[in-house]
Amino acid sequence: MSLLQLSGVTKDYQLGKTTVRALRGLDLDVRAGEIIAIMGPSGSGKSTLMHILGALDRPTDGQALIDADDIAEMKERHLVTVRGKRIGFVFQTFNLIQTLTAQRNVELPMIFQGVSAGERHRRASALLDKVGLGDRVKHRPNELSGGERQRVAIARALANDPEIILADEPTGNLDTETGNAILALLKDLSVQDGKTVILVTHDPEAAVIADRTVRLRDGCVESDSAGGVA
Amino acid sequence: MFFEFLRLAGQSIVHRKLRSWLTVIGVFIGIAAVVGLITLGLGFEKTVNDQVAGIFGVDTFVVANANAMGGGPHGGSADEYALDLALLNSVEGVKVAAALRERTGFIQGQPDENGDRLQGFLPVLGLSPELLTDFESFTGEMNVMPGGRLFEPGDVEVAILDYEISQRLRVDVGDTILVAGDGSNELNLTIIGIMAPPDEEASDSDGGFGAAFSASSEGDTISVPYDTMDLLWGPADDVLVTLVRTEAGFDVDEVADRAEELLNDQGSEITAITYGDISEQIGQFTNIANAILAGIAGISLVVGAVGVMNTMFTSVLERTKEIGVMKAVGAKNSHVLSIFLIESGLMGFVGGLVGSAVGLGFAIIATKLINAAGLFMGNVDMAIVISPGLLAYTLLGAFALGAVAGFFPALRASRLPVVDALRYE
Repeated sequence: MSLLQLSGVTKDYQLGKTTVRALRGLDLDVRAGEIIAIMGPSGSGKSTLMHILGALDRPTDGQALIDADDIAEMKERHLVTVRGKRIGFVFQTFNLIQTLTAQRNVELPMIFQGVSAGERHRRASALLDKVGLGDRVKHRPNELSGGERQRVAIARALANDPEIILADEPTGNLDTETGNAILALLKDLSVQDGKTVILVTHDPEAAVIADRTVRLRDGCVESDSAGGVA
Repeated sequence: MFFEFLRLAGQSIVHRKLRSWLTVIGVFIGIAAVVGLITLGLGFEKTVNDQVAGIFGVDTFVVANANAMGGGPHGGSADEYALDLALLNSVEGVKVAAALRERTGFIQGQPDENGDRLQGFLPVLGLSPELLTDFESFTGEMNVMPGGRLFEPGDVEVAILDYEISQRLRVDVGDTILVAGDGSNELNLTIIGIMAPPDEEASDSDGGFGAAFSASSEGDTISVPYDTMDLLWGPADDVLVTLVRTEAGFDVDEVADRAEELLNDQGSEITAITYGDISEQIGQFTNIANAILAGIAGISLVVGAVGVMNTMFTSVLERTKEIGVMKAVGAKNSHVLSIFLIESGLMGFVGGLVGSAVGLGFAIIATKLINAAGLFMGNVDMAIVISPGLLAYTLLGAFALGAVAGFFPALRASRLPVVDALRYE
């Protein structure tokens, strides 16, 4: 069944006095537990689509259902809850809080959900263990390598045990070997933990792990094919 | 959740050490000024009050010329007034009233070897004997040289001389001097005592208000019993000061009002000043002083607040992306608002803490320097009053100042659209 269902989604931006239409009546289904790669050249609407799938932004028109709830109709407070509980973000530039240790970075999403200190600590430690950083919990981001930082970011994305992992160019700032390790980790999340992984990338090699690849062009779906074919 | 936010805010402050300290300095200078100056003011008020209370006690009031009121506790001695001391003593609730009046009289001493007598016009003080027995806290200790004595009740034709004038008049205890008053009134007064010559150390140790009433400061004063003045100059219209002690169980303010009304009905123009009146005046004075200080300090606090606001706006701008990330991982607007408010409040609080410590230190050192140099009211040691209330309000106020100054930056942070914030480089 569809976890996310977009139909006729448009998104307009106001740039100065001109209106830019980033998405033009886009339709997309994301099924629970699959890894879907969203690809396309710059300006094809990848980022805009990711913002809507991640409940960071509302569509201008059309429906964007997560289960039965329409993101287009949600109040800000509801969007925040969706982001906090159902979606985990992984960014190209990691976006860790520089002043906090790895442990505290992973605890951050739980703080906003009001999770108790003991539970937070236990879960953050377990997640850092899971991504292979059990011995780096006290390090701050600037004391970690790029690959390690992205692992912390993945652990943070998993903090509130969301159904959806939304990864925006997760290997974009990493060398090939490190990037592959990160992709393997994301694959495991889908295969072992049943997470739905949405991978936004323009790198065909990254898309290899996907069950399905969706290509965008000019704000519309250009192709939707099974497998992670380049 | 507050403590988690406090921790996040604290980590952010510590991360930007230099800027945070500079901001804190901007706050603590104002706070230190407030705390330091108000602490000094409290010490001043307490010291003056204690001094006045030590002299007055709870059962004594002073009668002074009505027109001299407002000139402070010393003002009374500037204007003489008419007084019926016997009437005052008869007022219900008055235990003992004692007065001091002054005239200039013609004096003639004993002859020298050539038979010449020194004579001239000299100040004559009339003292109620009770001044010396019942009001020593006002008069200070009066010492006569060995062989002499002070006034006693029933003394009439006697005098006590300052040491210097006794030498010039060539008289000693047991000798007589001639004192001429109004008209043909004149008396030969027997010397019963010579004041001990002023001793530097002794007069140094005797400070405070008592010195104002001391009769021995001039060196050429002739003191006689209060009633003797009647024989020379008639009923008193030349009283400098009157001290009244009330009976136990009577309210001193009520007795003072009663005495004031009665005496003024008899044609005196006097006012009765109790400890409460003086304390009230001191309080009014220090309140005005504190209001002025608060105004000055308030200006420096506004400057400090602008500093906090500036730092917070910079901080919000610098952490735009971080704010975006926090929102992406589930932070509500109110969470972001709280974190930034706590951060600016914390800087205010630390400023308050440091400022209070510096202000108190300043007040303590200043008080010690004043005391060491003997600058305050002739060698009275000024008290140091550390007010827990002042410190509590200061810390609370400093936190509030920081939070208020940080409100608009925090509001801006909380309202940043998450997508724009995430894109910010």
